[in-house]
Amino acid sequence: MLEAIREKVLRGERLGFEDGLALFNEPDVLAVGQLANQVREARHGDRTYFNRNLRIEVTNVCVASCLFCSFAKLEEHMPGAHTMTLEQAWKKFEEARAAGVAPTEVHIVNGLHPGLPFSYYEDLLRGFKRIDPTVHLKCFTAVEIHFFAQHYGMTHREVLERLRAAGLDSLPGGGAEIFDEDVRRRISPDKATASEYLEVHRIAHQMGMRSNVTMLYGHIETFAHRVDHLLRVRELQDETKGFQAFIPLAFHPDGNGMKKLPAPTAMDDLRTIAVSRLMLDNVDHIKAYWVSLTPDVAQIALRFGADDIDGTIVHETIYKAAGSRSPDGLSYDELVRLIREAGRTPVERDTLYNVVREHPKARAPEAAMKVRDRKRALEVVS
Amino acid sequence: MSSATEKPDARASAVSSGDRPLRVLGVEYLNARPLWESLRDDPRVDLRLLPPSEVARALSEDEGDVGLLPVAAAATIGELRLLRNMAIGARGKIRSVAIVSERPIHELDSIALDLSSRTSVVLARLLLARRKLSPRLFGAPPEEAIAAVSGRTGALIIGDRALDVEGRFPHRLDLAEDWLDWTGLPFVFAAWFARPDAVSREEEDLFRVAKQKGLARADAIAAEHAARSGLPEESLRSYLTESVRYDLGDEELAGLQRFWTEAARAGLLPAASPSFEEPRVARTRPSLDSILSRAADGERLSVSEGVRLLREGSLFELGLAADAVRRRKHPHGVVTYIIDRNVNYTNVCTTSCRFCAFYRPVGHPEGYVLSREELGRKLQEVKDAGGVQILLQGGLNPNLRIGWYEDLFRWIKSEYGLGLHALSPEEIIHLARLEELSVWRVLERLHAAGLDSVPGGGAEILVDRVRRKIAKAKCTSAEWLGVMRIAHHMGLRSSATMMYGTVDTPEDRILHLVKIRDLQDETGGFTAFFCWDYQHENGTHIAPGDNGTHLYLRMQAVARLMLDNVDHVGASWVTQGPAVGQVALRFGADDFGSVMFEENVVSSAGTTFRINAEAIEQRIHGAGFKAARRNVRYEWLTEPSAGSGAS
Ligand code: SF4
Ligand code: SF4
Repeated sequence: MLEAIREKVLRGERLGFEDGLALFNEPDVLAVGQLANQVREARHGDRTYFNRNLRIEVTNVCVASCLFCSFAKLEEHMPGAHTMTLEQAWKKFEEARAAGVAPTEVHIVNGLHPGLPFSYYEDLLRGFKRIDPTVHLKCFTAVEIHFFAQHYGMTHREVLERLRAAGLDSLPGGGAEIFDEDVRRRISPDKATASEYLEVHRIAHQMGMRSNVTMLYGHIETFAHRVDHLLRVRELQDETKGFQAFIPLAFHPDGNGMKKLPAPTAMDDLRTIAVSRLMLDNVDHIKAYWVSLTPDVAQIALRFGADDIDGTIVHETIYKAAGSRSPDGLSYDELVRLIREAGRTPVERDTLYNVVREHPKARAPEAAMKVRDRKRALEVVS
Repeated sequence: MSSATEKPDARASAVSSGDRPLRVLGVEYLNARPLWESLRDDPRVDLRLLPPSEVARALSEDEGDVGLLPVAAAATIGELRLLRNMAIGARGKIRSVAIVSERPIHELDSIALDLSSRTSVVLARLLLARRKLSPRLFGAPPEEAIAAVSGRTGALIIGDRALDVEGRFPHRLDLAEDWLDWTGLPFVFAAWFARPDAVSREEEDLFRVAKQKGLARADAIAAEHAARSGLPEESLRSYLTESVRYDLGDEELAGLQRFWTEAARAGLLPAASPSFEEPRVARTRPSLDSILSRAADGERLSVSEGVRLLREGSLFELGLAADAVRRRKHPHGVVTYIIDRNVNYTNVCTTSCRFCAFYRPVGHPEGYVLSREELGRKLQEVKDAGGVQILLQGGLNPNLRIGWYEDLFRWIKSEYGLGLHALSPEEIIHLARLEELSVWRVLERLHAAGLDSVPGGGAEILVDRVRRKIAKAKCTSAEWLGVMRIAHHMGLRSSATMMYGTVDTPEDRILHLVKIRDLQDETGGFTAFFCWDYQHENGTHIAPGDNGTHLYLRMQAVARLMLDNVDHVGASWVTQGPAVGQVALRFGADDFGSVMFEENVVSSAGTTFRINAEAIEQRIHGAGFKAARRNVRYEWLTEPSAGSGAS
């Protein structure tokens, strides 16, 4: 089976549902990874993208109760619930700018807060642009956009138009979860459906906005659901060409309604990245989101089909709440080294994948850390 | 430009500027003397005389440019240039390499081997295999080897001793003569081999002139040696002028090639062919692909091949080849793990290794020695959790005498009946020094008190240049290996480890693996190999595996490919984290290590991972394997369990 798939891939032929399923079930995961790596290298060579981004969650109050979510609180007064004032949110940005490498992107994802006026979000965006007119605002998942439309009585397009007028540049990919209706009903019963999610992205793309798209895997879904999910992404992409990156997100079980499930293991993470790369022949980038994978596994994923490792992030609370062991943020230099150690060329990008700075590649993986640097590291310890 | 050429071992510039004499490694043996004698006084040459096995070590660790190298070692190192027209060989009887015995060779059931010449040992194995004989072979110091000869036990003896006992035993198989009988070719024992780009064509002439001068003095050399050794002068003269042949013509080359081919076919040496060209640029240099596929087929790799894999092999190439080897060695698709506990009985240590955040000096307020109560509680927990052994290690505490350990071991055995995987070589040597006993005696006493196996900790990198830098006070490579050799001879098993990523180079890491492989050839006592990278102190790095998880996976894969004679390779999830540990199962590992309760030496440096058996099995299943619990001998204690399906 793998041989037939390999031939298809090398001929540039599109893979189908059965192929996707076979890739998920192939016992030789290294062979799957190698094939994905071939595709990745044909597209991007050794180039591996990252950016300077700031993650802010302005509120974790959410009317929905997704089973997998350890982040949201139902109501404002519950312990652990928080909503930032506009000033607090802007301050985060100013602090990050003052701390050294200024973020080129602010990435905002929130709960579905029932009690805020729509102007809160518009003002939020305007405030960021006031601080830095060049900053790219990648804010609000399609789930939030859909919620805004319902809650404030607008169409999707109206919501997007108004937010764009306030400074919105693109949409993050969160909230996709699993598109299959049955699974979605069980894990996310009370938020945008798959078609609503996709519709928001379709409209955004039609308006000339780019976006990302995700998949939450490793909970109650089957491999068939994952393949189906990938195919729906591919279908919309054929239509709009608006997705920049696909981001598989590993389910983390702590503190949520599915804590009895084991988290997906690294092998599953790597395989999912690889199959995504092979199936999504029309999406440019596959992202190994290091917060979800841990930097270690993200590094390996750079050889299993991923060409992007996300950014410096600085503050991340969603995965933290679900028990991720990853650090809060990685410094710019740490990201560069992470990529170089994998024998890849670090390329700093902006949100739209314009090259900001290309770093030299490590000549061989072995050369990533020179003996001299190791000696220095030793001295630190002794 | 390929990375292989980055290494600064090319001496070319030094030669042209003439600022460093050629570093020549000679062998003390009588038969080698004619080749190097006149080089002693040559200012262009810095001559060092060593035993043959040391020549191999020194040449591979770049302490010399050219060495009079036994041909087995030359194949093991690989990518050396052979100097023309000079060798130590024989066409027919060599007289100084023979198996002696009281009964005919086919009646022997064991043979003691003088291990000082690996070439002779390999040759002996080939000649025995050719006769379809498989006596038990065991290593012994030269004198003991001779003393062992009686009845059905013979001995392989080498050098002066072999000359000395000519005529003493009724049966004597001269190995070079037997080789001629088999192949119709002369046998070459040693020749001058040079490191890449280390010896120019002009310098090569020095050796030819030296050989002419030396051979002209053969009579005198024989006379001098007779005076020193007490061997009859006439016998030595004929030995040097008739038995040993110093030429390296077409026939000898064919003999050498045949030997290397036969030994490679038998899995005793890496495949090699003699080359007068610079091997790294030679047209015959094997491609990386061919090295990988030979490795995947289980063929033995040379040092230079290992270095190329480590420098140039891609993650997938190495992973797939290592996975193929793992599959061939362990076709059942089972990955094992052990339930045990690492107990650090004391943190007081007189050594202060730079990378160790665990130890406290003698008298420090944070120093501790675990009491029987504390130990007992820990051991009971191990038993309650279904554990079968403890790994007992500690600092080098001068207040704990051997009697303390013996009592402790007996107590653990009688009260808890747990397997005792205890005391790394460093601690054994420390005890031997403290008690002024031999290592043999210390091991014997501990063995009698209940020691089951010796953990392979403290190996770090078995290259002294590296050891001196990172752990000055620690035992030398030879001492570490020596303890393991003795333990194995005593019937104790042990693991082997490697900690890389400090000041070591890829060459150092491969040499480390080859030293383990060589000892394993000799004793077969290593059960498994584990490696991990040096762990920085907490806060100085982003994640465990600071030299990159890629390097870890590639390193482990290369280890699987190099260590063809070690059964098991374990994933070091304790240091790399369970995620990378799981991935490592596809990079040659067939063991997931232990469900550990504590691991102070590593966790003081900021790595703490805890995981239970269920989570380990989940990861093993997730990597596509069945999981089984094991004991320290890697015997399965449970039926291998398959995963519940799902993902
Ligand atoms: S996943 Fe999003 S929509 Fe669902 S509960 Fe969490 S914050 Fe709310
Ligand atoms: S590594 Fe071992 S020998 Fe070295 S200081 Fe630590 S406890 Fe002592």
